[in-house]
Amino acid sequence: MKLKTLLVAAVAALLGTALQAEPIKIAYSDWPGYTVLEVAKQKGWFKDAGLDVELVWFDYLPSIDAFSANKVDAVTIVATDALVAGASGGKSKIVALLDYSEGSDMIVGVPGINSIKDLKGKKIGIEVTLVEHLLLLEALKRNGMTQSDVELINTPTNDTPQVLASGKVSAIGAWYPSSGQALKQVANSKPLFTSADAKGLIYDVLAVNPTSYAKHKDEWAKIAAVYYKCVDYLKDPKTKDDAVKIMSAKVGADAADYAKNVPGTHFLTVAEAKTAFKKGDGLDSIYGSMKIGNQFNLDNKVYKDSQKPESYLAPAIVEGMK
Amino acid sequence: MSERAPRVSKSDSDWLGLKKELSHRRRVILTVLSFVLPIGLWALVSYVPWLWHPLVKITSPGDVDYFIEEMEVPKEVFAQENAKILAQKGTPAVGARVNPVYLPSPGAVVRAFYTGFKTPPRLPNEPWLHESLGHSIRTIFWGFVLSSLVGVPLGILCGTYRFIAKLQEPFVEFFRYLPAPAFGALCVAILGIDDGPKIAIIFIGTFFQQVLVIANTVRKVDPALIEAAQTLGASRLKLVFRVIIPASITDIYTDMRILLGWAWTYLIVAEVVGTMSGITFFINQQARYRNFDNVYAAIAMIGIIGFSTDLFLAWLGTVMFPWKRKTRSSKKASIFSRLWPKAMEPVPDAPPEEPTADTNKVEVKPDVAY
Repeated sequence: MKLKTLLVAAVAALLGTALQAEPIKIAYSDWPGYTVLEVAKQKGWFKDAGLDVELVWFDYLPSIDAFSANKVDAVTIVATDALVAGASGGKSKIVALLDYSEGSDMIVGVPGINSIKDLKGKKIGIEVTLVEHLLLLEALKRNGMTQSDVELINTPTNDTPQVLASGKVSAIGAWYPSSGQALKQVANSKPLFTSADAKGLIYDVLAVNPTSYAKHKDEWAKIAAVYYKCVDYLKDPKTKDDAVKIMSAKVGADAADYAKNVPGTHFLTVAEAKTAFKKGDGLDSIYGSMKIGNQFNLDNKVYKDSQKPESYLAPAIVEGMK
Repeated sequence: MSERAPRVSKSDSDWLGLKKELSHRRRVILTVLSFVLPIGLWALVSYVPWLWHPLVKITSPGDVDYFIEEMEVPKEVFAQENAKILAQKGTPAVGARVNPVYLPSPGAVVRAFYTGFKTPPRLPNEPWLHESLGHSIRTIFWGFVLSSLVGVPLGILCGTYRFIAKLQEPFVEFFRYLPAPAFGALCVAILGIDDGPKIAIIFIGTFFQQVLVIANTVRKVDPALIEAAQTLGASRLKLVFRVIIPASITDIYTDMRILLGWAWTYLIVAEVVGTMSGITFFINQQARYRNFDNVYAAIAMIGIIGFSTDLFLAWLGTVMFPWKRKTRSSKKASIFSRLWPKAMEPVPDAPPEEPTADTNKVEVKPDVAY
C-alpha cells in the first residue's frame, strides 16, 4: 500500500531510528506499584547495575497494546490482564510480583447505601471486565449475591467520580485516584468494599516478552532486583518522602495527597514475593489469584480459551534472589 | 477599491444591513465582542454566586459529624444538615458557595495559563509545557504535511478526471466514516510507540476528507475556462497545470486552512496512542487529578495556536494570491490586516489612521487572555 510505505519511510526518517543496540524497554503507567520504578530512573539505578533500560510512560491500556504489538519488552500490568493480553497473542512471562491492591480499589456507595447488600436491584457504574468488575463480583459473592442482583452501567473508570456525583447510580467501582475523588466529591459517600477486604485478588506484575526473557535472563534478574530496591526505598522511613516526591511528580499529583494513597497499595518485598509465588489455591498465592481471574475472564467472555497461570508464571528469578 | 470598507458616517446606523460591508470600527467591535460575550458569560457564572454555584465548600464543619474541611456538598444537603444542627442548638457548618470543580473561573484559568509556562517540570528530563506544546505542533505538522503530499494531488486528479474519481472516491467516501482512533493499536503495531502512530492517526483523520473536499473544489472550476483552453489546443498536462490548478488554487488554499483545523481536532485522540506525550499528556494527567484550571488553560492554548495559525495563513493567502484579496478578506484576515495595516494594504486608497491601529492592538488582547 502506497500510503503505508510512505508513512513508514517518512516516520523512519523523522525519528531517525538508528541501528544501535536497542535498550530494554519497559512500559509503565499511573499506579503506585508501577510508578515506583521512576525512582530507579531518577536515581540512575539501572545504569549502576550495568543495564540499558528505557522506561516508557503510557496510559494503562495503550501500554498493554504496545506490549501486545511487541513494541516494548515488558509491561507493568494486573495479573488477570496479562492473561487477557496472552489470550490474544501477547504472551508473557511474569518474572516479578510487584504489589497487590490493599484498599486502592473500591466500590463506593452513595449516601443511604451502607453495605453491598443494599445494592440489590441498584445500578452500579463500573468499567466492565476490568479489575473493579472482578472486585465487585467478589464483594457480591461474599454477600451471597450474584451479578444478576445488580445492574451494571459500563463507565470508564476515569469518569466514575462524575457519574457517582450525577446521582444516576447507587455505587461505582474505581481505583486510585478516581476512587479517592469520588469519595471527596460526593458528600457522605463511603467505601462499601475495597481491595483490602480481598487482599491478593488484584496482583500487579512485571510481564516480560518470552523471547526477551529467554535471551536476557540475567538482565531481567537485575531489573527485578532494581524494582525491589525501589520498593525498599519507598518503605524505608528515611527515604520514603523522597520516593513519594518522585512518584507524585511523575503523575502530576500533590505529594501530600499522594502519600495518603500509597498505603492502598501493598508493595511486595522480595520475601513476600517469594511466598506469593508458592503454588496454592487461595488469594495468598499468585496461582490461586490468577485462577480466579481466568475464570472471571471466561465467565465474562473476555476470551474463550482458558489460560493456564503456570504457563505465564516464571518464579525462577524471584526464587533465586537473596 | 470602492467596496472595501467604505467610511460610514455616524448617521448611517444600520448595523444589520443585508450584505452590507461594515465599517472598520464596527468590524473590530464585533470581533472583540465575539470573544467578550462568551467569556463574559463564563465570568458571570463563575463570579456571581447566585447564578449557579450549586455546591458549598466547607470551611468549618461545625457540629455536622461527617463534614470535613475542603469537602464540597450540594447546597441543599448543606442547608438540611445545618437546619438539623440548629434544631439541636449546635454549631452550624460554615462554607462558601462554589461551582463544580469542572468549571474553573476565568481568573483561575488565566493564572494556570501563566504558571503553566513558568513552572519547571517536576522531574528532570521531563518536558516543559512549551516543549509538550512543541511536540504536539510537530505531530500535527507532520500528519498534515504527509496527508497533503498525497491528498492534494490525488484530490486534484479526482476533480479533473472522472476515471480517477470513480476509481478512488467511492472507497475514500467509505473510509472517511471509519473512526481514526480505532486504528490506534494497528498503528502502534506497524509504526512503533513514539510519534509514528500519532502522526498516522492525524493522517487517517485528515487524508480522506482532504481528497474529497479538494476534488469537489476542483470540480467547481468554470467549465468555460476549460473549454476555452481546449479550443486553444491545450494539452492534458497543460490543462491541469495552466488552467485547473490556477483557477482553483485559492479555494484549495481555503480548504487547506479548514482541514488544518480538522487535523487539530484529532490531536487529542492521536496523542493517547503509544507513549503519552504532548499537550494531551498534560491535559489527561491534570484531568485525572482534577486540576481543571490547568486543563482549560491547555485547551485554551490549543485554541490560541489554532486560531493564530489560521490568522497567519489567511494573511499569507493575501500575500500569495493578491488578486483574491477582497473575497478572501474573512473576518479573521481582517483582524490581521488591522494589526499590520501597511503590509496588508499595498493599495493605499484608505490608509488607516495610526490611533485606530493602536486601539486595535489593545482590543485584540482578550483573545490572548482567553
